Amino acid sequence: MPLQVQDSGLTGPLGSLGSLGSLGRPALLAALAFALLGLTLCALGATRDRRDLAAAGVRAVVATAVFVAFATFCLLTAFFAHDFSLDYVASYSSRSLTGPYTFTALWGGMEGSLLLWTLLLTVFAAIALTRAPARRSALVAWAGAVLCGISIFFLVLLAMPANPFAELASVPADGQGLNPLLQSPGMLIHPPLLYTGFVGFSIPFAFCIAALITRRLDDSWLRATRRWTLFAWSALSIGIVLGGAWAYTELGWGGYWAWDPVENASFMPWLTATAFLHSVVIQEKRRMLKVWNVSLILLTYVLAVFGTFLTRSGILSSIHTFAEGDTGKWFLPYLGVMLLGGLALIGSRLDSLRSENRFDSLLSRESAFLANNVLFVAAGFAVLWGTVYPIVNEAFTGVRLSVVPPFFNRVFAPIGLAIVALAGIGPLISWRRMSKGTFARVARPPALAGIATMIVLAAGGVRSIGALLALGISVFTAAAIVGEFARGSRVHRRREGSAWLESLRRTLTRNRRRYGGYIVHLGIVLMVIGFSGNAFKVERSAELAPNESMTVGAYSLTYVDHSSASTPEKEINEAVIAVSRGGERIATLRPQRNFHIAQRQTQSEVAIRTTPAEDLYLVLTSFDADATIVLRSFVNPLTWWIWAGAAVMLAGMIVLLWSPAPQAVPGPVPVRVRRTEVASR
Amino acid sequence: MIVCALLVVAVSAVPAAAGPADVATDISNEIMSPYCDGVTLHDCPSQAALDLRAKIQRWASAGWSKERIYERLETEFGAGIRAAPPARGAGSLAWVLPGLALLAGAGAAYSFARRWAGGSADGGTTPVAMSPSERARIDADLEALRGDTQSEVGA
Repeated sequence: MPLQVQDSGLTGPLGSLGSLGSLGRPALLAALAFALLGLTLCALGATRDRRDLAAAGVRAVVATAVFVAFATFCLLTAFFAHDFSLDYVASYSSRSLTGPYTFTALWGGMEGSLLLWTLLLTVFAAIALTRAPARRSALVAWAGAVLCGISIFFLVLLAMPANPFAELASVPADGQGLNPLLQSPGMLIHPPLLYTGFVGFSIPFAFCIAALITRRLDDSWLRATRRWTLFAWSALSIGIVLGGAWAYTELGWGGYWAWDPVENASFMPWLTATAFLHSVVIQEKRRMLKVWNVSLILLTYVLAVFGTFLTRSGILSSIHTFAEGDTGKWFLPYLGVMLLGGLALIGSRLDSLRSENRFDSLLSRESAFLANNVLFVAAGFAVLWGTVYPIVNEAFTGVRLSVVPPFFNRVFAPIGLAIVALAGIGPLISWRRMSKGTFARVARPPALAGIATMIVLAAGGVRSIGALLALGISVFTAAAIVGEFARGSRVHRRREGSAWLESLRRTLTRNRRRYGGYIVHLGIVLMVIGFSGNAFKVERSAELAPNESMTVGAYSLTYVDHSSASTPEKEINEAVIAVSRGGERIATLRPQRNFHIAQRQTQSEVAIRTTPAEDLYLVLTSFDADATIVLRSFVNPLTWWIWAGAAVMLAGMIVLLWSPAPQAVPGPVPVRVRRTEVASR
Repeated sequence: MIVCALLVVAVSAVPAAAGPADVATDISNEIMSPYCDGVTLHDCPSQAALDLRAKIQRWASAGWSKERIYERLETEFGAGIRAAPPARGAGSLAWVLPGLALLAGAGAAYSFARRWAGGSADGGTTPVAMSPSERARIDADLEALRGDTQSEVGA
């Protein structure tokens, strides 16, 4: 097949290669063939107990990943060579698109997004299966079959309704360009991280299904996939936060989270995955909640795919559905098979999923974990219900209602605060049992810190009950976590006589999983503090001629100057705003209102002055020919703490991922033996 | 405490009274824009949306209550303009169901936990009274033991 080579006019290795677009579809078809082969070999290897067949199946999975990677490479070369004979390249790039954004155009539309999804899926599958211990051959073979099945679904989508290599009958001179909103540094990593999270859950899901099929329902599948689960969860968490940061800096409405269906689509699996990460500890330590854990990972995977269905089908309106298409109807039967098949499998294995231990007391860390799970799943349900309610309501009443922030904030906030409170209560309770008196003693200092915070804030003029509760609970939880670090460090200091800092380091490194988790909790507490700032948000909008002023909060904003410039991509209109507080000039901000030529679209570039106390956020909503502007300004208190909390969370995730895999915990010890041991001490 | 101080400073700098502009902001956050698909009026950047916000602000300045403004908007644009289901009639289901789900989940978890705890293999131990010094010593030993055990198990 002849290669289509376009004059790219670009430098760099990808541009100089020319377009390999014509090789993309054959590569995808080869990947599909290898995925089918992998499914057959893995299933045969598993059912006939043939390790050689299973190993050949794993090699087929690796070949699938190689061909999908090559297809992705082909599409990238087409972008860099401006090969507008490909519909996808013509739709999502243009000659004026600059280097990094030519790369991000890969996931600018539905077909490319699905290609990226499939690339991640096949690469993760290849890594997980080749790294899995050979002694778990049956588990690995079935997991391979499941992963091949999932890959086949996505490869069929790419081969039929979402072909990124579809050619145009007539080749345009230039492409339509990438949506200006997607031309942001955040878009370089936000979508790949979200997809990494969504796709990453395929690995624990596949191993869970394999464990159910093989009835090997001890915690070996959990240990085999623990790092994958953590990795996927971490990627999804960072992806969600980066999405918020992108919305904050790009969308120009002064917020970071709009409870939009696309945002909810990423948040729902995050909630159930977080529940899973907690409940899995119970199974590892106490061999309990097995049914719950397999159900949670099934739910997480289904919700991840359901989110993709929501965003691809156009069934719900979204402010940032960039990758909409007609593949939605393909997802519904797939979702049905996954959900109903998974539930049927769980139902048929209930006898093997019985808990091997029992709760010793209602006041125990196990109970705290259980409560945590109930709250996370209820939160997930609340988000799901709010997301699908418009469809349900329309089906019954014919009225298409929208459900946006006011609903979600009121429904989700109480559950969210209870979760944050539990993150403080959990570490204070011991495993198995604890007396009420001891709990009251250890909970007193952080509870007093929380109450004192609320009193101080109320005395300082804070009147929002929600914010008072959020900040009080946040301080309670932070105090409980810091107390845990202090207690652990004190033990090391007593035993080893080391300095405080060294004791803290030892506390952290000797139990990275536990204290890494606490760091993540601390990060979430800081984020909640940031969210509480919303209660004090101030917004003003005004039309200003040069040298006119407006006020927002304690700031005075004067429109002192303006400038206009042109680049090949856009016409830039910039306003120069002098910012004063208390009569003193403290900053100069330059919001822009730009016209993107290729897309014929006007877009605002916000200007933000950030401090830990508050952000001053300026948006130009209009820039007239006579230089009159409409300036929308926001004072967003404590927003800085959201990003600081995310950084702390990231540090905690690194500690968690760095921690060793848990060893198998021995089964329950007969009571008689334990009593004998105690008696002999 | 640093955060509290920052918040108190930030809040004290903000004028507390809710004027017509704040009412307009509140309402525009709670209705969908008739001009932008899937976006609240507050977040819709179109000129028509800005005009509607200005109109709402004028109504608020004229002393209209929030409910009267909502009714006027519903008359003009239909019931779908509300950004949240009304807490009455069929709309109340939207608000009640998440709470019911939470209660049902909590009830089920409590019932399971109680049943499991009731059948505890170790059940029936009687707490022994101990002095504060004994309790402190045992707590310290347990904490040391817990650190060792958890680092060994990796939990």
